[in-house]
Amino acid sequence: MLNFKSVALVLLLVSPSLWAAKIVVHDRMMDHGGGHLMDMGGAMVMGQNIDRVPDGCGTISGTKEITVRAGHKHAKRFPGRMFAFDQQEFNFEPCTKLTVNFINEDKIRHQFMIHGLPRYLYAKGMFHLEVTGPGQVTGTLILPPAKKTYLVHCDIAQHMEKGMKGQMKVGGGDIDLPSIPGVTPYVVQDSYKRTVPLYVPPVDPSVAAKKKNAPYFTVSMIAGLVIGLILLVALASYLKGKQITEIFAALFGYTVALGSKGFNFLKSIFVRLFDKTKKLSFKK
Amino acid sequence: MLRQAFISLVGTFAVLLPFLATAAVDLPPSITIDPGKVEPPCKFNLPKWRDAQVVEGVQIQESRRCLPDNPDLIAAVVKGTNNISMETLMETHLSVDSVIKKDDLDGDGDPDVIIIKLEVFELNGHTPDFAGLSTTYDIAPGVQPAMWVFAPKTRGMSTQSFISNVANTTLRAPSPVIRVEQDDIVWLQLENSHYFPHTIHLHGVDHPYVDSSGEGNDGVPQTSDKVVMPGSAKTYEFKPRVPGTFVYHCHVQAHVHIGMGLIGMLVVEENKPNNWVQTLNVGAGQVRHPSKGVLADYDSEYDMHYHAHDKDLGDIVKEFNDPRLVARKMNREYDLQDATDEYHLLNGLSFPFTLRESLIVAEPDQNIKMRIFNSSGEMSAMHTHGHKATITHYDGVEHNPIAQITRDIYDLAPAQRNDLKISTKNDGFHSYGEGIWIFHEHREKSITTDGMNPGGGISAIVYKKYLDDTGMPKVQGSDITPLFTQAFHSRQYPVWQDFDEWNSLGEPEEVEDEDLGDAFVVPPPKDKNKKTVAATLIATTDATPVVNFMKGLGAALVVFLLYAFRGKLTGVLSLFGKKGGRKDA
Repeated sequence: MLNFKSVALVLLLVSPSLWAAKIVVHDRMMDHGGGHLMDMGGAMVMGQNIDRVPDGCGTISGTKEITVRAGHKHAKRFPGRMFAFDQQEFNFEPCTKLTVNFINEDKIRHQFMIHGLPRYLYAKGMFHLEVTGPGQVTGTLILPPAKKTYLVHCDIAQHMEKGMKGQMKVGGGDIDLPSIPGVTPYVVQDSYKRTVPLYVPPVDPSVAAKKKNAPYFTVSMIAGLVIGLILLVALASYLKGKQITEIFAALFGYTVALGSKGFNFLKSIFVRLFDKTKKLSFKK
Repeated sequence: MLRQAFISLVGTFAVLLPFLATAAVDLPPSITIDPGKVEPPCKFNLPKWRDAQVVEGVQIQESRRCLPDNPDLIAAVVKGTNNISMETLMETHLSVDSVIKKDDLDGDGDPDVIIIKLEVFELNGHTPDFAGLSTTYDIAPGVQPAMWVFAPKTRGMSTQSFISNVANTTLRAPSPVIRVEQDDIVWLQLENSHYFPHTIHLHGVDHPYVDSSGEGNDGVPQTSDKVVMPGSAKTYEFKPRVPGTFVYHCHVQAHVHIGMGLIGMLVVEENKPNNWVQTLNVGAGQVRHPSKGVLADYDSEYDMHYHAHDKDLGDIVKEFNDPRLVARKMNREYDLQDATDEYHLLNGLSFPFTLRESLIVAEPDQNIKMRIFNSSGEMSAMHTHGHKATITHYDGVEHNPIAQITRDIYDLAPAQRNDLKISTKNDGFHSYGEGIWIFHEHREKSITTDGMNPGGGISAIVYKKYLDDTGMPKVQGSDITPLFTQAFHSRQYPVWQDFDEWNSLGEPEEVEDEDLGDAFVVPPPKDKNKKTVAATLIATTDATPVVNFMKGLGAALVVFLLYAFRGKLTGVLSLFGKKGGRKDA
C-alpha cells in the first residue's frame, strides 16, 4: 500500500502535464565556483562575473538588465527558420554590468551564449545561460572595454543555423555578423528555384463550361446600368449651377445627411418605379 | 644553298619522327602515392579508462579496446544522473536530469522508476555561415554523411569547443542502446531539439497504446498520437512485462527518418534482485556493466547495431538550410525505390574506425553474449570467422533451447535481432582457437564504404594476447595504417601499394596515349594468293553453303518419299473426295 502511495506521489510530482504548466524560475542555483552555477533541473550559468572589472575599464560604466526570450514561436517572424530569440541585436556601452534574464519558452533546452570574451575573466571566453523550458535563468557579466561585436547564439546543433542567433555590439561594435534573422543575409544562400511544379487544382469541366457560355449582358447588369443612370441624372440636377466650393460644402452636407435624405430619395424612386398606380416620371 | 639544306634537314626529321616516337617500347613504371596525413590507428591515450574499476559503487568491466566507454559515463547511467556526485557528472556531457532513477517499488534493491530523456541531433549538417559542415562526425577518415540521431540529454555545447566543429563524444551514431529492467516504470521523454517533427515508436517492447493520461503512446502519427514538433516534448510510458532485445525508432516519415539514423536498440533485462542495469550504451558495443541475468550465463556482453545509409538522402540536409526546402526534397522528391546505400555502419562507424570501438575482446573458454540488430532496409547475413555461435533468441524471444541452431551465418531481416552465444571453447566447432577472427556481414556491399573495400561494418573477435597496448589488434597481414587516411577513403590510394619490394600492383605513372607510341602491328600473311589449307577451311566455314546443301538433301528426301508412297497418298486424298461427294448427294 505504501508503495502504491509513493508511486502516486512520484507520478504527481513529475507528471508531464505539470512540466508544461508555466515558466519555472531557476533561482536556487548551486555555486560550483569560477562563475559556474547549476541546479538539479539542468539550469546552468557559466562565466558569471559580478565584480571582476575587465582591464582597461577602471570602473563599471553602468548597469543594465535585459530579458531575452527564446523558442520556436519567435521564429514565426522569420520564414525558413525554426528557432529564434525574441530580439536579434543588443547594444551596450563598454564596461556595462549586464544582467540577462533568459526565458526559454520551448519544452527543450536552449542556450544564450556570448562568445569571444576575454579568457582571463571568462572560461573559454564564454558567457553561457542554459535552461530547459519552460524556464528562466539569470546571469550577470561585465562587458569588456573594446569596441567589438560578439556572437550571441544557442550552441545546440542546428539551433543557430536555423535562426537562434544574434549579435551584441559593445561601443557600437566593429562588424556585422552573417545569418542573423532580419538583420544580415546568409553567407551561403539556399536555392529557391522550384523543383516540383506548382500544383494548380484542375477546374471542374461543368463549371468551366457554364462560365464560358454565360451571356455578357445579364438582367441584373442592365438593372444596375439603369439605376446608375437615374442616380447620375438626379445628382446632376442637384449640382447644376453651383460653384466648386459650394459643391464641396454641399457634398459634406449631403454626406452628413445621406442617412436620411438619401434613403428618402431612393425610397421615392423605388415607390415611383414599383407603384403600378403611378406612371414613371422624372419631373418633380 | 642554306635554304635547301634547311628544307632537307626538316624533311629528314619529319620522315624520322614516327620512328622516334615508337622508341618507347616499355610500359610506365609504378609510382608511390603519398597517403598524406595518417591518423594513428588508436589516437586515444586512455589506459585508465580500459581497466576494470569501481566508480560511484558501480562495477565496471575491463574494456581493452582502443576507445572504451568513459567509466564515469557508465557510472552515471547505471546509478542515474540524480544519484551521483557532481564531480562524476562533470566528467560526462550528460545533463543532470538525463537519466533519473528512483523508487525501489518491489523492494529488491534496485530502482524501478526510470526517466530517460532523449534529444535529437543532426550530425554533419548544413550551415549558412560557411561552405562546410556543422557538428561533424567522421564514420571513417574524412567520411561525413549527414545523419540524425537520438542522443542522451546533454548539457553545454554540441561541439567539442567553440573553435571546433567536431561533435562532442555523446552526440554520435547510432542512437544509444536503452536498457531497462523488466517491470520497471519507464518514462522515455523525447525533447525534440531538431527542426523536424519526430516521435518514438517502441518496436517489440511491451507498451500500452495510450498512456496514463489517455494520450497516444505508440508513436505512430497517423493512428495514436500527434507528432512532437520542434521545441516540444513528449513522454512515452511503458512497464515492460517481457524481457528481450527490442527496438525504438521515429515513426514520422519513417522511410527516411530511420535511414537517417533515428533508430536504436532497446533491451529489457530480466527482473533480478539488486539489478542496476546500464540504462544507456552510448555508441553501442561492449556493455561494461552487464545485468545480473546476463552475468549468470555470460562473461561479457556486446550490443552490435548494423545500419546502412544512403549518401543522397543525407546530402539533402547538407544542401539546404531552410527546413521547408529540406522537407520538400526529402518528403516529395526523394524516391526510396531508386535509393542505394553507400555507407554501412557497425555501431555508427565504418572500418577501420570500427577497430577502435567494436572489437570483441575474448579469452579462451568464455561465453560472450552478442545482440545483433539490422536497421538497414535489406536482408543481412553476419558471419563470424573462427567461431560458430548459437542463436538463442530471435527478436527478443527465446528459441526453444533444444531446437537452438549453431551456425556461422546469422541472417537478419530488416529490423530483426538475434541474440548470439559465442563460446570461445577451442573444440574445432565453437571456436578454432585464439587469433584475430574478423566478423562482418556477408552481403558483400556491407564490407565496403561507398562501394570500396575494405570498409563498412567489418570488425573482429580478438583474443586478448593478440591485442596491443593501445587496444588495436596486432595484425600480421598487410599494413592497415594507410587505411586510416583520407587519401584511401577518397579513392586515391591504391590498396595494394607496396605489397611487394617493387610495388608490382601499385599505381602506374600516367602517360598520354600518343606518348605510348604505336601499337605493334601483326604482319600480314606473306602470300595473299596462296592460301593454306587452314585458311581455305576458315574461308568456307561460313555456314550458309553448308546449310543450303542440307536443305537440298531434305528436299530430295521429301520428293523421294512422295514418289514412293504415291499410291497410298492418292488413296488418302480420294477419301476426302468421297466424303465431299456423299454430302453433295
